[in-house]
Amino acid sequence: MTLSITDVTKRYKIRVTRAQVNALNGVTIDLPAKKTLGIVGESGCGKSTLARMIVGLEQPSSGTVTWNGEPIFDKARNMLSSKHSNIQLVFQDPYSSLNPRQKIGDSIAEVLTVHHLVEKDAVQARIAELLTEVGISPELAHRYPHQLSGGQRQRVSIARALASQPDLLVLDEPVSALDVSVRAEVMNLLIDLRERLGLTYIFISHDLSMIRHISDQIAVMYLGKIVESGPWDSVLENPQHPYTKALIAAMPDHTEVGNNAYEAPLKGEVPDPASMPTGCAFHLRCPIAVPSCSTNAQTLREIEPNHQIACQEVK
Amino acid sequence: MSKPLIEISNLTVSTTDDNRTLVNDVSFSIAPGEAVGVVGESGSGKTLTALSLLGLLPRGVHATSGSITYGGKDLLTADRETLRSIRGNEIAMIYQDPMTALNPVMKLGAQLIEVIQSHGGDTSNAMERVLTAFSEVGIPDPKRAYESYPHEFSGGMRQRVMIAMALILSPQLLIADEPTTALDVTIQQQILALVMQERRKRNMSMLWITHDLGVVANLVDRVIVMYAGRIVEVGSVKEVFTNPQHPYTAGLLASLPKASDKNRTRLLSIPGIPPKPWTVGESCAFSPRCSKADQQCRSSLPVLATNTHTDAACFHLMGDNS
Amino acid sequence: MREKTWFSYYLKSTSGVVGGILVLIMVAISLLSALGITPHDPLIQDPINALQGPSSQYWFGTDQFGRDILSRCMDGMRRSMLVSIVAVSIATLVGVLMGIVGGYFGKVLDGFVVRFSDVIFAFPAILLALAIVNSLGNSWIDTSIAIAVVYTPIFIRVARGPVLSVKEMDYVKAVRILGFSTPKVLFSHILPNVLPPIVIQIALSMSWAILTESGLSFLGLGTQPPDASLGLMVSEAQSLAAFAWWTLAFPSLFITIAVVGLNLVGDGLRDSLDPARRSS
Repeated sequence: MTLSITDVTKRYKIRVTRAQVNALNGVTIDLPAKKTLGIVGESGCGKSTLARMIVGLEQPSSGTVTWNGEPIFDKARNMLSSKHSNIQLVFQDPYSSLNPRQKIGDSIAEVLTVHHLVEKDAVQARIAELLTEVGISPELAHRYPHQLSGGQRQRVSIARALASQPDLLVLDEPVSALDVSVRAEVMNLLIDLRERLGLTYIFISHDLSMIRHISDQIAVMYLGKIVESGPWDSVLENPQHPYTKALIAAMPDHTEVGNNAYEAPLKGEVPDPASMPTGCAFHLRCPIAVPSCSTNAQTLREIEPNHQIACQEVK
Repeated sequence: MSKPLIEISNLTVSTTDDNRTLVNDVSFSIAPGEAVGVVGESGSGKTLTALSLLGLLPRGVHATSGSITYGGKDLLTADRETLRSIRGNEIAMIYQDPMTALNPVMKLGAQLIEVIQSHGGDTSNAMERVLTAFSEVGIPDPKRAYESYPHEFSGGMRQRVMIAMALILSPQLLIADEPTTALDVTIQQQILALVMQERRKRNMSMLWITHDLGVVANLVDRVIVMYAGRIVEVGSVKEVFTNPQHPYTAGLLASLPKASDKNRTRLLSIPGIPPKPWTVGESCAFSPRCSKADQQCRSSLPVLATNTHTDAACFHLMGDNS
Repeated sequence: MREKTWFSYYLKSTSGVVGGILVLIMVAISLLSALGITPHDPLIQDPINALQGPSSQYWFGTDQFGRDILSRCMDGMRRSMLVSIVAVSIATLVGVLMGIVGGYFGKVLDGFVVRFSDVIFAFPAILLALAIVNSLGNSWIDTSIAIAVVYTPIFIRVARGPVLSVKEMDYVKAVRILGFSTPKVLFSHILPNVLPPIVIQIALSMSWAILTESGLSFLGLGTQPPDASLGLMVSEAQSLAAFAWWTLAFPSLFITIAVVGLNLVGDGLRDSLDPARRSS
């Protein structure tokens, strides 16, 4: 079982200005089963579009997304192919990902009954099992989402996703909206579930420290493209692309205290995706850019086994 | 230590309707030129504490006791006119969302001029001052910015405009309520560098509110850790981060992934969730989640006491770590 | 801690409670009339007792044919309520369905729904109702249909707006990814979350529908003589009111009670169903 994303692009038209936005621009990913791919990048890099595409909420403008060789998007139903309800998404905001008028037990029960995953008389037992699995007391099944804390709601969202017996979970900033003191628990839960259930994860975040903690492979995205990818330790211990280096340098680090030296690693802002720079999209902010970077589009090339970057200036 | 610029004593903030305590007996001071960070999770009372300093508490919430002494006046009992002349002029604030501070239908230049006028400033060279302020905060084309509306700018640029607006009257104290939380990390870094540079240049005091320990580690001199409406630990940034004495601070730091940890060891987590401040009563609010808690913690309230490293409100300090 | 229901909030609203009492009185009157329990037969003429003022025998007096006005008011109320309930039910069902479907699917379907409601909105309500009744006929069911057509676009708008925002909520995306069928997504996950404004609109529309029905009858189109209708009674009383005030006063009072009662219920619902207003 593999997730294969091959040369995927996604273009939107902005209604008013008629401008074209390239949210994704030739993204290729191959992720073997039971591995975790961390996708890191700043706003506008396309990581959320990619997430929506992997779960079939969006159709690629070109290229293919397949799971076990079968396309994920069902053109006829305009959504996730029914074969692939085993690909699930966990959202960032635990306050909007559960139906506010539905008890949490019912939201899980619905998944079980719609897909006939268990016998009718076993539904309650399975709900209890799933809630226990994510560390929620089954007694809370009769609560409404607003009666739970953010961390508890995120666990319920995870339990609901697990109810459909997924192989692949797309985790879109799953701990970013949570209080700092409960993030670690949810991270530990995700790691435990991965081991116990043999899940494959796509972990999307802007927080490099969380990406570092959970990923086997890492892809760094900038303006719709992957600029560096590889095993987590190669990418983070031995970053090659200037953008990856800048991201690592920009991570607020609590272990280095009181040196009171903030140096901004990058000048300028992320360009508007509607007016993409020519050549390498990063060249306007890049500390090592040369004139030809504004004309030469960059493609990924291997610099060490499995470690790829899209930059001509790194030898 | 020199005379504090502002002194907050026993500040308690409660809801007006049902008298629920949200900030409980908070005392601290800020020295001239000092940068203080307030770290806490949502509901810890950090933002309400900051808003009290400017008399900007939201409707339905009010300060029930305590005092905030600034320039010989108590800001909690000061009249509107006094508060108005202090706001912006001597104490300025920047927010997480710049759009709450900027008027969407007014040109940016005009908005800054208005700030100068509202405090009876000299308006003869106002435009020049605004353009200087814009260039100081790193806005590339100040003249164009002067004629622009807020929506024409990106989040990071709007944040710079808001900082220019806050700094234009050279305040003594800048209060920052998570101004970088909504920004991308590389932009956050730019804003932090900017704030740091301006603070040094002006020898301005600063109160920086955040939930992100990493942000304040290199930004402030002193850190205040709040939990469930109370201060649980105060100390120099170095001591709080390297020798945290309160188990909550220690737990929080231990729960963060470390870039130096090659083996990616399991994160230490704090079980449970923070309680609502008004439900705590006479006990340590952290005791239900604390591995060191005993009967004493559950039945009496620890007070903030000085120890070798920091001031912490705990019966069972973490002790020496280094 | 037990969750407070919307009803406990509703009971805290003064307008809700007063409106609720008025509506209950109206319902009771209509039920009595439907069971034939009126002081007199609303249709029987008694020329000897024509145009009597209020008395112990005829509480509200009699009209120019000697019919008991109280009995006719009760019968008129029953008819107004019936028309109002049927008309608003049809408008709610059709309007909400169109609004939800248009809002959720968007594109061409939504364009059709929006144009449809725009076209109906373009006509003054009472004129459109007049035209429809004229072409359909004068029975109470025709009147109901005419009023329903006029009120359908209001329900389209009330349902469609919230659907546009709710369909973008993560919980709706989540159940789509989970492979739930579209009707299930629409009716189990979207409809319950757009219901409060619809419920409020039902109460308000019922009061307007009573007015519209009275208006149609007043113009000689809705209910036909000798049947009683509040609007018709007001119409007939026009020439009599100068010397027999009761012929105009009591039917007008009944219309007022109905309209004010339902409006107050609408206010009470708005206060109790909207979490943002609960705090005050």
